[in-house]
Amino acid sequence: MAAGRCDETIVAVITPPGEGGIAALRIAGKRSLSFLESHFRSTSEDSPQFKPFLMRYGHFVGRDGNVIDEVMAVYMPAGRSYTGLPQVEIFCHGGRQVVQLIQQQIVNDGARMSEPGEFTRLAFLSGRIDLAKAEAVAEIIAANTDSSFGAAREHLLGAYAEHVTVLREALVDIAAEIEASIDFPEEDIDAAGSRRLVEMLDRTIGSIGELVESYTGGRIIDEGYRIAIGGRPNAGKSSLFNLLLRQERALVTPTAGTTRDYLSEWIDLGGFKVNIIDTAGLRRGGGQIERAGQKSAKRIIDSSDILLWMVDLSKKNWQAELKADIKALEKTAIILLGNKIDAVPAGAEKAWQADSNNLLLTSCKTRKGIADLKKSLIVRINDKMPDLTDGLVVTSARHKQKLAVALKALRAARRKMAASESPELTAFDLRLAIGAIDEITGRIYTDEILGKIFSRFCVGK
Amino acid sequence: MMAEYDVIVVGGGHAGVEAALAVARMGKTAAIVTMDAKRLALMSCNPAIGGVGKSHVVKEIDALGGLMGEAIDATGIQFRRLNLSRGPAVWSTRAQADRIKYNDYVVDFVRRQESVDVIEGVAGEILADAGRAVGIVTEDGRRIGSRAIVIATGTFLGGLIHIGEKKIRAGRIGEKAAWELSESFRALGFEIGRLKTGTPPRIDGATIDWSRCEIQPGETPIPFFSSRSSREQFDQTPCHLTYTTAATKLLVSANFEASPIFSGQINSTGPRYCPSIEDKFFRFADKERHQIFLEPEGNGTSEVYPNGFSTALPEEIQRQAIRTVAGLEEAVVTQPGYAVEYDYCPAYQVKPTLETRRLEGLFLAGQILGTSGYEEAAGQGLIAGVNAVLQIEREPGLVLDRSEAYIGVMIDDITTHSTTEPYRLFTSRAEYRLALREDNARDRLHQYARKYRLINEAEADHFERLDQATREQIKHFQKKRVAVADLGELRARFQKRENISLEGLLKQPGITINEALPIIARFDGELSHEREVLERAAIWIRYKGYIDKQQREIEKFKRMEGAVIPADFSYDTIAGLKQEAREKFRRFRPGSLGQAGRIEGVTPGDLAVLSIHLKKWSGSGE
Repeated sequence: MAAGRCDETIVAVITPPGEGGIAALRIAGKRSLSFLESHFRSTSEDSPQFKPFLMRYGHFVGRDGNVIDEVMAVYMPAGRSYTGLPQVEIFCHGGRQVVQLIQQQIVNDGARMSEPGEFTRLAFLSGRIDLAKAEAVAEIIAANTDSSFGAAREHLLGAYAEHVTVLREALVDIAAEIEASIDFPEEDIDAAGSRRLVEMLDRTIGSIGELVESYTGGRIIDEGYRIAIGGRPNAGKSSLFNLLLRQERALVTPTAGTTRDYLSEWIDLGGFKVNIIDTAGLRRGGGQIERAGQKSAKRIIDSSDILLWMVDLSKKNWQAELKADIKALEKTAIILLGNKIDAVPAGAEKAWQADSNNLLLTSCKTRKGIADLKKSLIVRINDKMPDLTDGLVVTSARHKQKLAVALKALRAARRKMAASESPELTAFDLRLAIGAIDEITGRIYTDEILGKIFSRFCVGK
Repeated sequence: MMAEYDVIVVGGGHAGVEAALAVARMGKTAAIVTMDAKRLALMSCNPAIGGVGKSHVVKEIDALGGLMGEAIDATGIQFRRLNLSRGPAVWSTRAQADRIKYNDYVVDFVRRQESVDVIEGVAGEILADAGRAVGIVTEDGRRIGSRAIVIATGTFLGGLIHIGEKKIRAGRIGEKAAWELSESFRALGFEIGRLKTGTPPRIDGATIDWSRCEIQPGETPIPFFSSRSSREQFDQTPCHLTYTTAATKLLVSANFEASPIFSGQINSTGPRYCPSIEDKFFRFADKERHQIFLEPEGNGTSEVYPNGFSTALPEEIQRQAIRTVAGLEEAVVTQPGYAVEYDYCPAYQVKPTLETRRLEGLFLAGQILGTSGYEEAAGQGLIAGVNAVLQIEREPGLVLDRSEAYIGVMIDDITTHSTTEPYRLFTSRAEYRLALREDNARDRLHQYARKYRLINEAEADHFERLDQATREQIKHFQKKRVAVADLGELRARFQKRENISLEGLLKQPGITINEALPIIARFDGELSHEREVLERAAIWIRYKGYIDKQQREIEKFKRMEGAVIPADFSYDTIAGLKQEAREKFRRFRPGSLGQAGRIEGVTPGDLAVLSIHLKKWSGSGE
């Protein structure tokens, strides 16, 4: 974990880039207050001292004595700020230049620009927030569409954390009864095979299973709905890719800076984050590279939420090709686009529409059918989206992985209970499951089980 | 001051005796300072050794050359294994002792040790010189010098007995208590806390109507504890089970106020797992009756221990309440039950070697560290004795970790957690439970027994032969295939197959080892006739998959244990650390990152901060 050295003071603009009415900067670290005080000039005659949590109005003054902007500023002492460190927040006018000037002054004073997510990491390290919250905050920061923000906010508010906690609680209850039957064999505690426990376990397995399944929806929220554009050479893939990109708002990609051999961009489509991938680039060249390209095109197509398969209607044998391609693709989530409809003589379609009526007729040139395509995509995405109002969506791949581990262990425990296996083996699986869930919230399994036993059973000879 | 002994052991209970004997086995001299030389290893409470989790410790003590297993084997009157219907990891031997004979056996054994003296007296003061324990002064003024000291005072340190409103300064009924020693601890700067425990009244068995009780026979063949025992099979004495009645509930509930536990006379906490009868009716008001086990205190006495009826009610109410229990209508109480409060030293004050952080050469063991139970005490006593010798020799101490022994689990638990009640072992406390079994205690601890010369050559050879035989037996189980048609009633489980390896049979879910072993025995031929070898090999196969799985966890655990926090590491300079965590770390002084993570209330965030600074610290060579 690359958390900076603790004696460093870090600074960052915490409002999104671009023009806005107000922008905010955050400074965290030992020297944050002294940095603020050296630049802040009160416009009234009150004390130059900052009181914790008292917002003050004044001028931000550069080293050279010139006023840079009017600002509001607030100081939060160590232990009572988001990061847990002494922290300052400065609110200035939202012009890009002003914000950067102020930030530059602080950096010149000796602060370091913060790394992405560093404030949150500090908050986690200082114990201000738990792991699940830290991840939710990281999601909020990365969230750049409406629906994405909704799920992240739910996470933060803890609906999800609470749900996971309730599930964990149920598992601890089950484990406590099984442990009690092992550790107190002479008390009449009948647990291991009890129908009630099996039912409790079944319910929990069901809930965790749902959470794991919600990951598809959650992943769409988090990483975007994945649209692959495929088709034979010259079907118009890149034209469609560029058209969608031009027409819709492009999003900052979470994987910016990574190099890849295909084109991948994120757009906002009807409020959803959508990742469109053009497999066109993969076909260029020949020989080995071509084969490798085909392989990765196949991979992209397989992992996409939907495949837009483009057919060049101006080609004579397109129907035969399409038949063969569909068979080879083995993909059910597919929209067939009959492209270049503009190049087909009017009336020609009558001849083939009968057996190809699931073709969506488009033209990247005249933009015919493009609006219909988008509408149909939005409907499909919407269907895939989980209900965000209950907040019970797993959006983090890490959480999903842990929950899947828990699920597997619980199913093993369930099988053992059904087969009346020794309870210490059931307990083994339960402990694995609870351990996996604990890795989501960062809790540690301690004396809880015994606590439960003693509160529930009158044990002791 | 002249050192007359290498190690002085204060207290002659289960901890003190194991400590002194370990010192002797390692070739040093020890003196047990105790109030009554005839009362070594007396069973102050129930006349039994073992039970779930505890039996594992007895086997570990035995593997480390300790006496407890041998003593109970020689003097037990009933043996059985609890949890036999469960898997072998939680099989737990429990034995009823002849209380007097057990005590005599230990007294006699200790008397025969040339390098162990027993000195009658009450230790009153610990003598320190330049930060090191150098001896003690008894309450009657005798000064005894030593190179190290083990304190194992049990309930005698500041002991105060409560029976109703009556208060008696004693560690055990009819005896004295050590109050001056408490003061000496305080004067040395130790934090002292107070705990409570209790014991039931004793009953004259001749006045019990046994026909109204359920009989509980022993197990045959008798499951002895020690690998060094050679006792023959014998006729065992049964225990009995009975229940409290509606009248008990009524009487006890009407007298809650008369118990010092509720009246405010006792403020210290007792164990939740061993509540007094008044506590049971108070906290579980819905429960109509509670089971009472009637345990004989020996064959030469008619005295009976009613297990489950611990109480501090006034004597007269005790007598009435006992008579409300089924079968005890005419019962005569021979000794009243009581609660006892005593001083203890919260265990954050000792290192995992059980040496105090404050005073070099001073070791604590047993109830003084907040634990309860003969077995827990004995396990610590043995470790303290070994480490006292290693300390004298300036050798690194013996610390068993959580993946090696229940003793390790226990010492780690008490040194990373605040004491809220007398600590007792449970199998659920061991995260690597499947690997910590009775049957493999020697496999786990043999290397230490050899290294520290805790067992003799013959014993070591015997185990090594057993180990070898077990390995061969395992190979045989893996190789040997048998026809499914020959499997008797288990045949139905393997319908689709013609034959199966014995390994496959043992691994089959739903078939217990106890079901499989008799069948396996039928295919004897080249198989071992030794029951122990068969069982060990079968258990090994049975759990192998799980233990392999657990092995990865254990490796992770060992890595964290290997991230050593230097003794002089300063938590003051860690800026990102929460104040609460900083205080916890300063208090418990974890020796490794793994241990730091187990300290109560420490969050993963605290640990992350600590690990970063630890890397920085070691990297910069500060």
